[in-house]
Amino acid sequence: MPVKKITIEGNIDGKRLSSRVLEERIQEAVKDGASDIFVRADGQHGIGGRIWPVEKTVRITVTGPVGQRLGSMGMFGTEITVKGNASDDAGWVNCGAKITVLGDVTNGAHNAAAQGTLFVQGGGGARCDTMTKHNPRFDPPESWYFRDVGDSFSEFKAGGIAVVCGVDPRDPENILGYRPCVGMVGGTIYFRGQIKGFSENDVKLLPLTPQDWQWLKERMMPYLKAIDRTACYGELTASPEAWRKLIAYTPAEKKGRLGLKLSLSDFRNDMWEKEVGAGGIFAEYITHERTTLPYITTGADRRNRPVWANEKYSPPCAYACPTHIPSHKRTALIRQGHLKEALELVLQYSPLPATVCGQICPNLCMQSCTRGRLDRPLNIKELGALALNLPAPKPAKKTGYRIAVIGGGPAGLSAAWQLALKGHSVDLYEAEGRLGGKIELCIPRQRLPHRILLKELSRFKEIGVKTYLGEKIDRKGFEKIYKAHDAVVVAVGAHKPRELKFTGSEHSVPAIEFLKGINTGKLPALKGKDVVVIGAGNVGMDVAVQAFDCGAKSVTAIDIQEPAAFGKELDDAKEKGTKILWPRFTERYDRKAKKIYFKDGSSLNADLVIVSVGETPLVDFLPQSMHTDKSGWIAVNGLGQSSDAKVFAIGDATRPGLVTHAIGQGRVAASVIHSELMHYDYVPEGKQVIPYERIKSEYYDVCRFGSGGKFKPQEEAAICMSCATCRDCRMCEAVCYSGAISRMEKEGGSYEYVVDDDKCIGCGFCAGICPCGVWEMVENA
Amino acid sequence: MGALNLDFNHSISLREFPYIVRWRDDRCKRCGKCTAVCPVKAIEPAVQLQRSVHSAGPVPEPKAERKVVYVVRQVADMERYCTGCGACTLVCPNEAIEPEFNLQHKFLHYKNRAGEPYKRGGRRNDPLTSTLDRLKFTRISMLTDPALDAGRHEFRIRTLLGRNLPAEELPLVASGGRLVVTNDTFIPPVREIYPIMIGSMSIGALSPPMWEGLASAVAYLNEVAGMPVVMCSGEGGMPPRLLKSRYLKYFILQIASGYFGWDEIIHALPHMVEDPAAIEIKYGQGAKPGDGGLLMSYKVLKLIAGIRGVPMYVDLASPPTHQTKYSIEEAVAKMIQSMSMAWGFRVPVFPKISGTKTARAVLNNLARNPYAGGLSIDGEDGGTGAAYNVSMDKMGHPIASNIRDCYLDLVRQGKQNELPLIASGGVGKKGNLAANAAALIMLGASAVSIGKYIMQAAADCFGDEFNRCNLCNTGRCPRGITTQDPKLYRRLDPDRVAERVVDVFKSADVELKKIFAPMGRSTELPIGMSDGLSIDDKAMAERLEIDYAC
Repeated sequence: MPVKKITIEGNIDGKRLSSRVLEERIQEAVKDGASDIFVRADGQHGIGGRIWPVEKTVRITVTGPVGQRLGSMGMFGTEITVKGNASDDAGWVNCGAKITVLGDVTNGAHNAAAQGTLFVQGGGGARCDTMTKHNPRFDPPESWYFRDVGDSFSEFKAGGIAVVCGVDPRDPENILGYRPCVGMVGGTIYFRGQIKGFSENDVKLLPLTPQDWQWLKERMMPYLKAIDRTACYGELTASPEAWRKLIAYTPAEKKGRLGLKLSLSDFRNDMWEKEVGAGGIFAEYITHERTTLPYITTGADRRNRPVWANEKYSPPCAYACPTHIPSHKRTALIRQGHLKEALELVLQYSPLPATVCGQICPNLCMQSCTRGRLDRPLNIKELGALALNLPAPKPAKKTGYRIAVIGGGPAGLSAAWQLALKGHSVDLYEAEGRLGGKIELCIPRQRLPHRILLKELSRFKEIGVKTYLGEKIDRKGFEKIYKAHDAVVVAVGAHKPRELKFTGSEHSVPAIEFLKGINTGKLPALKGKDVVVIGAGNVGMDVAVQAFDCGAKSVTAIDIQEPAAFGKELDDAKEKGTKILWPRFTERYDRKAKKIYFKDGSSLNADLVIVSVGETPLVDFLPQSMHTDKSGWIAVNGLGQSSDAKVFAIGDATRPGLVTHAIGQGRVAASVIHSELMHYDYVPEGKQVIPYERIKSEYYDVCRFGSGGKFKPQEEAAICMSCATCRDCRMCEAVCYSGAISRMEKEGGSYEYVVDDDKCIGCGFCAGICPCGVWEMVENA
Repeated sequence: MGALNLDFNHSISLREFPYIVRWRDDRCKRCGKCTAVCPVKAIEPAVQLQRSVHSAGPVPEPKAERKVVYVVRQVADMERYCTGCGACTLVCPNEAIEPEFNLQHKFLHYKNRAGEPYKRGGRRNDPLTSTLDRLKFTRISMLTDPALDAGRHEFRIRTLLGRNLPAEELPLVASGGRLVVTNDTFIPPVREIYPIMIGSMSIGALSPPMWEGLASAVAYLNEVAGMPVVMCSGEGGMPPRLLKSRYLKYFILQIASGYFGWDEIIHALPHMVEDPAAIEIKYGQGAKPGDGGLLMSYKVLKLIAGIRGVPMYVDLASPPTHQTKYSIEEAVAKMIQSMSMAWGFRVPVFPKISGTKTARAVLNNLARNPYAGGLSIDGEDGGTGAAYNVSMDKMGHPIASNIRDCYLDLVRQGKQNELPLIASGGVGKKGNLAANAAALIMLGASAVSIGKYIMQAAADCFGDEFNRCNLCNTGRCPRGITTQDPKLYRRLDPDRVAERVVDVFKSADVELKKIFAPMGRSTELPIGMSDGLSIDDKAMAERLEIDYAC
C-alpha cells in the first residue's frame, strides 16, 4: 500500500481549529489510510495520541505551536516528530508511541509513560518523567533528554529508563534539577554530569555496570540520529565514568534502612559520652554496674529473699504463757518419741507444773493456741498434769552465791527453784508454817487437790533450797538478810485485805481470812445461812464455793461493776448456785437484822458478809530504799528490779496477777539475778509472736469426733501445728520450682534448710506454703 | 474462752477491688515468677484445702478425700491492692495470670485509711475520649488550594520559643547586606525549636536510665536526626556533667517553688559552654493544680540528693506556691527578671501554669512584660509522679478551651505571633500524639509538651486511665521509670528508651506532615489555623469558635 500523505492545518484562514476538531480530522485521516500525516498545529491539545495503526506505522510530523499533552496515550506504531519545542506533558501516559521533539519539552514530559520512547533534542522542564512505569508485557518506556531536566524529576518513578546526557546544561552544577526521585520505586536514570542531591530515602547513586554501559552505547546512536546530534556520539560514549545512575531501593532494602542511621548505642559511645563524660550524666553518682537487669533475678539482684526463720518467733502458746513454757518443743519431742524429755522440759520453767498448768491456771497458752482457731486447742493442761510424778532435776554446779527469797508462795518458789537450778545457794523465808502461799492457804482444795500441791512441794524440797518456815521478817530481819546475801527476792504476796467502809463493815469478814481459815481447818458454821460476798472477782467465786461447801443456803456475790470473775472459778460458783448481782453499792450492814442494804434501796438477807475486794502487800519490813507506789505495791520494772539494785520483787507484792504470772516473774527475776552475778548480759526471752496467718492450718484436718476418751500425749503432739518451729516436713524443698531449697544435716543431728541464692528468684512460695510459718520473705537489701 | 472469734466482720472481698487477678490453676506450673515480680505483693503463694466426699458403692459409703494444694492467691488487703499493672502477665510463661478491671470496684471508698486520702501517680482517671481526640481536620485541600504531598514536599515543622517582636518593632536596619542594631531596644531571645517538646519531668521523679534515655534521645534528635527537639528538666536540677556540656542548649531548665538543684545550676554557670534553650518557671501543674510537688524520702538517694543539693532521705516538698511572691505582677515580673538576668538576658524565660479559668489574666500580664518569653499552660489531663487523687481527678481545666481563649485574647491584641503559647496535658492520651499536637497548634498553641505519652511509648509505662499501675509515687515502678531503686530501674536500658523516643519523634513528624500537607501548609506551622478544625459537638464548636461538622 502506498504511503498516503496528508496535511492537516490547525488554523484555517486565521481561524484556529479546536482541539476536538483537529483530533477528529487526524483520526479520520488514519481511518482513511493515511500513514504520513503533517500537522501544522496551533496550540491544540493531545496531538498524535490514541491512534491504533493497522499494519503500517503512522508518522505524524508536527510544526507550529504545539499544545499540551502531545502524543498523550500514544500507541505502538505511532511515530511523532515535533519540529520545535513541545509544551507540557508531552508523551503523557505514553502507551508505545515514539515521540521525538526537536527542541525542548516543558513541564511534565513523559508523565506516567508506560511504554514507547521520548527523544528530546533539548532539555526538560519540571516534573519530567514522573510516575513512569514498566508493564512486564512490554519493554519499559524510555525518555532521553539531551541537555538537562528541571526540578522534581522522576518523582514516583515506578519503572522505565531515563537518560539525561548533560550536554550544554543550563546549570552545569545540577543537571537533574532540585530534589529528583522523590518516591521513586523503580526504573533507572542514567545521567552524565553534576547533580545537587536527590531523594536519598528513595534512590541510590551508583556507577554504571558494563551491562549498563553496553546498553547505553547501543541506544545512543539511534537517539542521536533521531535528534540530529550524531556529532556528539564520541563525546557521550567516551567514558562510562562520566555517567552515573540512580536506581530505587528495593522494598527489602528500604525496610532494612528503616530506623536509624546511627544506632543509639553508637551515639552514646561516639557522641553523648564523649561530651558528657564516660558512663553518662549520672556516672559520678552511681556505683552499681551499668548493665540491664531482667525482671526475674537471682542472688543479690532479687527484690526479696527467703529466710528460714526457725524459732525466730514465739508460738502463740509460749508467748501467752508468762513463764514462756515452750509447749511446741514439748510436742516436738513427743513426736520424736521422747516423751520423758518432753515432760521433764517443763521443770526448767516451773516448779509447779501439775499444780499450776494442770489445775489452777486458766491456761493462757490454750486460749491462744493456733489449733484452737481450727477446732480445739492442744490440751496443755493435761500435759502439765502429767508432770506430777517427775523427779526433781539436778541443779547446776554451785556458784558460791547466796540469795535470799522472802516468801514461799508461787513467786518465791519459782525464783528459788530457778536460782537453785542455776547453782546458787538459796535461803527461802516463809512467814507461815508451810510453803505454798495463797495456793496453799486460799485456793479451795476442790479446785486444787491438796495431794498434788504437796507432791510438787516435796519435789521442790529436793533441790536443796534452805527453807525457813514461820519466819516473819521485820525490818531488822530484812537488814540482816540483805547484808548476808548477794541478792534478795521479795515475794511476800498480798495479804493485807483492802478495806471497804460502810456502816456495819466492822462485822464483815475479809475473804482472805475466810479462805485461809477453811484451808487451815477452821470451818465456819454456815448451815442454812445466807452469805453475801462483796466483790465478784475470782476470789469472790472461790469464797462462794467454799461457803456453799460449808453448808450455806444461799450465796450472793455483788459488785459495783460488771464482775471480773471468769473461767473455772466462775463456772464452779455458778454451778453451786451463786447469784451475781451488779451494780450494787453497799450502804450498810445491819448485823441484828441480818440484812445488807444497797444504795438503790434494795437489800439482801445476810447472815455473813464477806468482803472480797482484793489485798495489798504488807511492806512495813522494807527499808526506805525500797519504793512502793501509792497503792502500796512494790515498784519494780519488767525484770523485777526494785529501787534497790540488790533487791528484786515479784508476784502479788508488785501487782495482782494470776499464779502463772507470779511463776513467770520469778523466773525472769532469777535469770536477771543470775546474769548479773555471773557477769553477762541478760537477754530477754521475749520474741515477737508469730501472726496466726502465717500458720497454714489447711494442712490439718478438723478433729471430727472430739477429743473424747483418755488424754494421750502422742495425739496432742500430732495435732500441734508447730507454730514458728520447723517440723521438718520438707514441703518447702518439694515446692521450690527453682530447686533452690535443700535440707542440710548439721553435726549433732540437727538440721537446717538452706537457700541457694544463685537459684532462688525470691518468689515466696516457701513462705507461702510453710505449714509452720518458718520461712519468711525479707527485703534483699 | 472470752469473746467469739470474729471472722468476716469488717472485712471485704475481692469484689470491691479495682482489679481482680484471674489465675488459671490448670495452666500454672507454680514457677513463682508472678509472685516474684508483683510490685505490690498483691498476689502471694498460698495453700488451699480441698475436701470432698464420694460414695461409689451400691449403698451410701462415704469416703472423704482431702487435698492440700498450693495456689497463687490475690490478697484482699487494700494496702496491697492489685493495681492491674500486669507485670505478672508479662513474666508468666504459661498465660496463666492476668489482672482484670472490675467495673464494680469501690476502691476510693476504702483507700483512705488512717485518714490519709489516696495518693498516686499518673493522670486523670478518665478513659473517655477527650476534646483533643474529638477534633478533626476537616479542611482538606485537593483542588481548592495547592495540595501538598507529605511524602513529596519538603516541610519545615518548626516553632519559635521566646518573644517574637514584630518586624517594625525590631531596632534593626539593613546596611551593607547585614542587619545592624540601631538603638539599645531589648531584642528578646528566640529559639527555633520543634513544636513537640518533652515536658518537665524531674530527675527524681524519673529514674536515672529514664531521664538519661530521654536526654540522650533529645541530643540525638538534634545532632543526628536534625530535629530541634527540646526537653524540660523538671524541678530536680540537672547533673553538672550535662550543665557543662554543649548539649545544654537542648534543655529547658525548670525552676519551681522548691528551687531544688538551683544552687548547683548557679555554681555551674561560669562553666557552661552553651546557654540552655529556655527557663521555665513553674507555677502550676495540670495534673495537680494548686498542689505542690513531693518527692518521698525513700526516693532521695545519693544521686537525687547530690543533684538537688539536699541531704539524703528527707521528704522534698515543693510548696504549691512560691514563697516570696504575693501578687501576679510581682510574682511573674520578679521571677522573669531574675531568671533572664542569670543568663544575661540571652535565654527565653516563660512561666508554666496549670490550666485555669484565670489563665487569661496571667497571659495579659505577660503580654505587657517585655521579658516574658511565652506562656506554658498544662491542662487537666497532664501527668504527675505523685499527687492526691482528688487533685488529679477533680482539679484543673481542660487544655483545649483554655489555650483557645488565650490565643483569641492574643489575637484581639494583635499579639498572636508575638507571645508563644505552649500547651500540654493529655497530648497523646489515646496515642494520637501528632493529631493532638496539630489540633492544639491549630487552636492557637505554638508548641505542645508531652510527658505521660513518652513514658508509655518509650518505656512501656503500664499506666492508663483505668488507674492501672499508677505507682509512680511509691518508688515501686515495675518498669523502672519512676523509681530510684536500682533493682527496678536497671530493668530499663537507657539506649532502648532513647531509641524509642527517636522513633516517636520521627514518626510524629511524618504524621504532622500528613496532617499539614492536605491543608496546604508546609513552611509555616498552622498556629491558630482554626478554620481547618471541626468538632462533632455543637456546644464545643461554639465554645472553641470552630466549625461544627457531623
